[in-house]
Amino acid sequence: MQTKNIRNFSIIAHIDHGKSTLADRLIENTGTLSQREMEAQVLDSMDLERERGITIKAQTVRLNYKAKNGETYELNLIDTPGHVDFTYEVSRSLAACEGALLVVDATQGVEAQTLANVYMALEHDLEIIPVINKVDLPSADPEKVKKEIEDVIGLDASDAILASAKTGIGIEDILEAIVERIPAPHGDDDKPLKALIFDSYFDAYKGVIAHVRLMDGKMKKGTKLKMMATGKVFDVTEVGCFRPAPVEVSELASGDVGYVAGSLKNVRDVRVGDTITTEENPTPEPLPGYRGVTPMVYCGLYPVDSADYDSLKDALEKLQLNDAALVFEAETSLALGFGFRCGFLGLLHMDVIQERLEREYKLKLITTAPSVIYHVHKTDGTMIAIDNPAKLPTPQEIDFMEEPFVKATVIVPNDYVGAVMQVSQDKRGEYKSMDYLDVNRVMLTYHIPLSEIIYDYFDILKSTTRGYASLDYELADYQPAKLVKLDILLNGEPVDALSTIVFADHAAYRGRQLAAKLKEIIPKQMFEIPIQAAVGSKIIARENVRAFRKDVLAKCYGGDISRKRKLLEKQKEGKKRMKAVGSVEIPQEAFMAVLKIH
Amino acid sequence: MSYGVYIHIPFCKKKCQYCDFPSWEGKEDLMSAYTQAIVKEIEAQEPFLAKAGPASSVFIGGGTPTVIPITQLERIIDAVRENIPLDPEAEFTVEANPGTVTLEHMTALYTMGVTRLSIGAQTFENDILERIGRIHTAQDIKDAVRWARAAGFTNVSMDLMYGLPGQTMKNLVDSIGSAMDLAVTHISVYGLQVEDGTPLKAKIEAGEITLPTDEETEAMYDYVVNNLPPYGFARYEISNFARDGFESRHNLGYWSDKPYIGFGAAAHSYWGGRRTENLRTPEEYIASIERGESPARPEEPSTPEIQMAEFCFLELRTVRGIDREQFEKRFGCTVESVYQKVIDDLKLKELLTSDEKYIRLTPKGMKLGNVAFRAFLL
Repeated sequence: MQTKNIRNFSIIAHIDHGKSTLADRLIENTGTLSQREMEAQVLDSMDLERERGITIKAQTVRLNYKAKNGETYELNLIDTPGHVDFTYEVSRSLAACEGALLVVDATQGVEAQTLANVYMALEHDLEIIPVINKVDLPSADPEKVKKEIEDVIGLDASDAILASAKTGIGIEDILEAIVERIPAPHGDDDKPLKALIFDSYFDAYKGVIAHVRLMDGKMKKGTKLKMMATGKVFDVTEVGCFRPAPVEVSELASGDVGYVAGSLKNVRDVRVGDTITTEENPTPEPLPGYRGVTPMVYCGLYPVDSADYDSLKDALEKLQLNDAALVFEAETSLALGFGFRCGFLGLLHMDVIQERLEREYKLKLITTAPSVIYHVHKTDGTMIAIDNPAKLPTPQEIDFMEEPFVKATVIVPNDYVGAVMQVSQDKRGEYKSMDYLDVNRVMLTYHIPLSEIIYDYFDILKSTTRGYASLDYELADYQPAKLVKLDILLNGEPVDALSTIVFADHAAYRGRQLAAKLKEIIPKQMFEIPIQAAVGSKIIARENVRAFRKDVLAKCYGGDISRKRKLLEKQKEGKKRMKAVGSVEIPQEAFMAVLKIH
Repeated sequence: MSYGVYIHIPFCKKKCQYCDFPSWEGKEDLMSAYTQAIVKEIEAQEPFLAKAGPASSVFIGGGTPTVIPITQLERIIDAVRENIPLDPEAEFTVEANPGTVTLEHMTALYTMGVTRLSIGAQTFENDILERIGRIHTAQDIKDAVRWARAAGFTNVSMDLMYGLPGQTMKNLVDSIGSAMDLAVTHISVYGLQVEDGTPLKAKIEAGEITLPTDEETEAMYDYVVNNLPPYGFARYEISNFARDGFESRHNLGYWSDKPYIGFGAAAHSYWGGRRTENLRTPEEYIASIERGESPARPEEPSTPEIQMAEFCFLELRTVRGIDREQFEKRFGCTVESVYQKVIDDLKLKELLTSDEKYIRLTPKGMKLGNVAFRAFLL
């Protein structure tokens, strides 16, 4: 394929605006997969993605399209996630493209998340094609949405494509627009190889597979390649493209998007954002790569069974391979033993990693409550960053503390402005600005502690605005705050893994709520368990889990002994999911209880 | 070798709110084919059982055995008598649910050689009976017991339940009083269990029904355990109480590693250390018998660990406990060689006690039976 007939593009959309359905329709329309092979939302290949209806990992697919001008084009669709946690994935995908479809729901309009992604695409100099989706719905108002795109984003929407991914309206137009409006990649096959790694994953048979976008040069089986940052040299055993399953091809040339596999067994040799070149004739300059991603949320991950420590480490390494935002280091907890402190982009990211570890790696885990990174200025003049409440120095050693704040952007219908203001104020947010997007919709910005966003800000925002609010946030700065460590004692013993850092004025309330929640969660055991919440040596709340004194099964109907045994086994299995801390057995969810209180 | 025979009648006039067992309402049209199938299944086992020797107990349970026409029940009992050698002293129980029985019913059963009736009373409070989906009233229970006596039965058992929605301690005390007044000889008392997928569970989750608190339920348990023995009902198993000599031989078989053979849909068998289960629905069961196939399916292959665990938790249900000698005979090693740590730990928790012959639950252990049983799962 000649470079002039290649188009590399992404789809940018707010969650639920129909990105995955549109991708499916493009795959189907170009005959990449037959109708029969189509499973709803082909690109969301993880079970988790299908269940939650979200895209987590960017996926890639090559479409061959015969345009109206008679020529055949290779369209590389690099799918992107839509959730705020996964912004960095979007940035990686965009760096491999020349253009993007901006999909906006004709019934909803521009959302906070769309804005953030469009700005990112503009930073990458991408050609943006606005697509107004779901025009088949009765409540669709394409003209209003067009105006919003022009007013809010500042894009010319006069040639926006009206489409319905569900019914197939406008799909031809979109394919034609991709060919006509998105520029062909301008690489040079004859220059030394310069390829961007934008993703990677581990295949049990082929080793590490790197997803690449070739800027210049060619890549084929048998050549010796070099990773410019890690210095790793390897022999190429296979190159290919995605249709959407990996398919081997004879070579990849400049402008192409595909994958490369080689003698790469160590996950650390392949770094997303690195540049691949040939060993023989290397390019003098690597590509700029990516801005490093900084995790914003930390939590402890511990195996329920301490024998699984090595498996957990192994699994985290494998996941980290295609998730540059996941960081982890070993840590020890008095209550939970050996585990890892892990950093994530946000709560959904944390949730997803935890679930993948449990599902794909069959690990039973205890996750501790998430924490942001606090800056603790000590009386000796030094500053330390704390991502684990248990590591907080004693109050005597602390001069003052700072916590991270974000700039939060909320878009809502104007009826809910009051609700947003109330929630934001309750969550210690500082009002910054309010702009009318049109007569009905308002964009508010707040300066607000990240810890509040992590707890329940978005949940409450959603429920008080009947789901209309959309939220985007970016780290702003660190600000001093009155913070204290809230400890939990079970049976009189402090449990380090249950400690949290909270705003001092909220401590008493949070302590009472947390103790009450733990009372619900911790099952009755053979002895009474006092639960206490404390700040320093001051007990601020107390609850009791009463002892159970009866636990018997009814009769064996018709001699069905196996059923009885299986029931006992299930109960025993349930116990295994609990962590024995001293003599108290604590279920997994207790460690996340702090998130369940409002 | 003594063994038990179980026959399952999977039909009910109405399924109870708490029931998740293989029983169905509204399948009256299957009853006659079902009876025919059971008879056929029993006949097919005749040569095998002739070699095995006499059975020591027969139990026809359900579902509601008394919901099928009496002539069909007669055909099944005839088939048992003609094809299965019975010990002359064999215990022959039929479950009879109040509201589905008459004096004629009882008389017919007695004439056919049934020796024991098990009456599903559950409680004597009409509003609670209605709430849990029973079709009968307190008066129906009393009638059923009186008719049983009139028909000639001297061995009458009654099932009662505690922890029922809306049940108070006074209700339970009254129900036990009523059972005493009726002079039954055996009482099974079960705590209500809320099973997944039952209407009861759905109603509790929807907040339409509330159960007594754990503390109230515990007090009811204590009342039963403490007050039946003074009436002359000795506790011989966690949930079972009997006047001297009226212990259920059939149920004791389940708890003491005796073999049993089951007939009918979803019936379980335990023979030669292997467990099998018949096809679950009456439709599947009938179809397989009509095709001339065996309805039995082996359960997952059992390991020595599973067999030991089952042996122990079943024997622990009885007041006598685990028979050390029987364990050694069965597995070729002592109980301690496998369970020393478990036994020590449970003794420390005051759940277990032992002497030279038996290892048994303490009264506290009976109350926390599941804690001890779980510990015996390897």
